[in-house]
Amino acid sequence: MRIQAEHLSYTYNPGSPFSSAALKDVSLSVEEGEFFGIIGHTGSGKSTFVQHLNALLRVPTSLKKYRKKHKAPPSNTVLRVGEFDLTDKKTDFNALRSKVGMVMQYPEYQLFAETVFEDVAFGYKNFAPEKPTKEQVESAVRDALTIVGLNYDEVKEMSPFDLSGGQKRRVAIAGVIVTKPEILVLDEPAAGLDPLGKQEVMELLHRLHASWCKTIIIVSHDMDEIAENCTRVAVFSDGEVKYVLPPKELFRHAEELLALGLDVPLTAKICLALKEYGIRLECDFTTEDFLKKALALQGKGGSV
Amino acid sequence: MMKDVAFGQYYPTKSYVHNLDPRLKIVFLIAYIVAIFLAKNFYGLACCFVVLALSIGFSRVPVLRVFKAIKGILFLIVFTTLLNLLFYNGETVYAEWWIFTITKEGILFSVFLVIRLVLLITCSSLLTYTTTPVALTDGIESLLFPLTLIRFPVRELAQIMSIALRYIPILMDETERIMNAQKARGANFETGGLVSRVKAVIPVLIPLLLSSFRRAEELGDAMEARCYTGGRKRTKYKKLRFTWRDLLAFFAGAALITGVVLLNVYLGAMI
Ligand SMILES: Nc1ncnc2c1ncn2[C@@H]1O[C@H](COP(=O)(O)OP(=O)(O)OP(=O)(O)O)[C@@H](O)[C@H]1O
Ligand SMILES: [Mg+2]
Repeated sequence: MRIQAEHLSYTYNPGSPFSSAALKDVSLSVEEGEFFGIIGHTGSGKSTFVQHLNALLRVPTSLKKYRKKHKAPPSNTVLRVGEFDLTDKKTDFNALRSKVGMVMQYPEYQLFAETVFEDVAFGYKNFAPEKPTKEQVESAVRDALTIVGLNYDEVKEMSPFDLSGGQKRRVAIAGVIVTKPEILVLDEPAAGLDPLGKQEVMELLHRLHASWCKTIIIVSHDMDEIAENCTRVAVFSDGEVKYVLPPKELFRHAEELLALGLDVPLTAKICLALKEYGIRLECDFTTEDFLKKALALQGKGGSV
Repeated sequence: MMKDVAFGQYYPTKSYVHNLDPRLKIVFLIAYIVAIFLAKNFYGLACCFVVLALSIGFSRVPVLRVFKAIKGILFLIVFTTLLNLLFYNGETVYAEWWIFTITKEGILFSVFLVIRLVLLITCSSLLTYTTTPVALTDGIESLLFPLTLIRFPVRELAQIMSIALRYIPILMDETERIMNAQKARGANFETGGLVSRVKAVIPVLIPLLLSSFRRAEELGDAMEARCYTGGRKRTKYKKLRFTWRDLLAFFAGAALITGVVLLNVYLGAMI
């Protein structure tokens, strides 16, 4: 499923003294099969954008009201996810949500059930077109827990609140992917985890990308994470999209990114520092490629 | 959706009314309510109305926004008015049908009631529009201070109140976030029978409770880490002080009550 957004604007609390324009005329499309990254400083509208993708935030359907509220011409606003038209009131949003999984920031705080099994099964039961049999539920939950790297038989009877932070996050992710969504959106999936935990989450995402979820979109602050994993990146700043590029090309703009108050990957920083000494190093900014090129450089005695 | 709840409806702007001492505003509100109920004829109510209109004018809060507060109790107003209109025992009967009677006194009384309720709600909401919850608690604390003489824990109560007020918007945000997370997992809060709706609340309520406990614990730790002990030796960061504007408003309030009482005496009661 392809995601297509054009001229999308969103204002929180429109018409009140607290109103804040979180998205301003955003146009962005994500192709099927991408591992898409969204970066931007705090409050740049990343979460607001991704919440539109499964209609947690809605494009207002009444054009007149929308015009007045958002001070933007909505006539040209487009928001499509696959065959779903999100600007249409009659769209079946429940069907959409089973196709577009959404893992919110700190998803472990949404756990509620008595056992891990019940919690993961929650989404599956909700989205099932008719009441699923016990075996169906069991096999779906088993698959979901296994793919996130947990031992089904060990954890299924445990209370989700007795797990460690990293395990809780996996259970929460399992609770979303249990319906095998085609698109998986994750808001800061690795936030608050230690380096090993982060790496495990990213590995898990690649595992999902290779199997269940054709398209993955992650929101992240961590440039290294983005550089290592994503096929394309969108840079948000103050509710606008500044760049949409593959990371390799994006980090050529390292100076502009730094000026926007964003971090760049360590590799890009080193390349920038080397540039000051007149040493040019062309790489795609993944650690592996960077090391390869840097070592090759060293072999040549510093000249390219 | 949660944002529509009338809480935290402070309207941030700078104005004469915003700057008044919260204690004074509270006392003024009480005086105003007393005046509304003392008024026995339309002249008195007209006085009250003029005072309210002036206050709204000086507060720079948009008029429509102030009257929005009425929407919440519209049903109550309509209901009580109808009851009074149909059942009031008056002398001059205009119409009679089955158990209903419409009398001149009934009509007068209903109109009176509507005006009173509207004035009451608008002036109370004007207070919350122009006073931050923190200032409001400070004001209440200061006004209740005499109660410390009988060992009533006014300070602690005020502290509890201000913490509670502080956490209302946070909890509302949190509720919305959790509801969104569960909606993304297919939870349905809008349709279904009573049982399924109550059931639908559980996935929101439990995480919300847990996070409230977590927050409470964190806040307690943070307060203790900064040596909060309660007790009476605490000083204040923001001291309330009376200024000449407060004095002016005070006299306006006193004048209003006196005026209404005089009007009652000289022009006679209508009801
Ligand atoms: N529920 C809300 N009510 C009002 N304003 C909001 C709400 N959520 C976000 N905003 C505002 O919208 C803007 C964009 O917020 P958003 O959450 O999309 O940022 P973000 O890029 O996800 O930031 P972060 O990296 O901190 O998560 C911010 O200015 C924020 O203050
Ligand atoms: Mg965010």
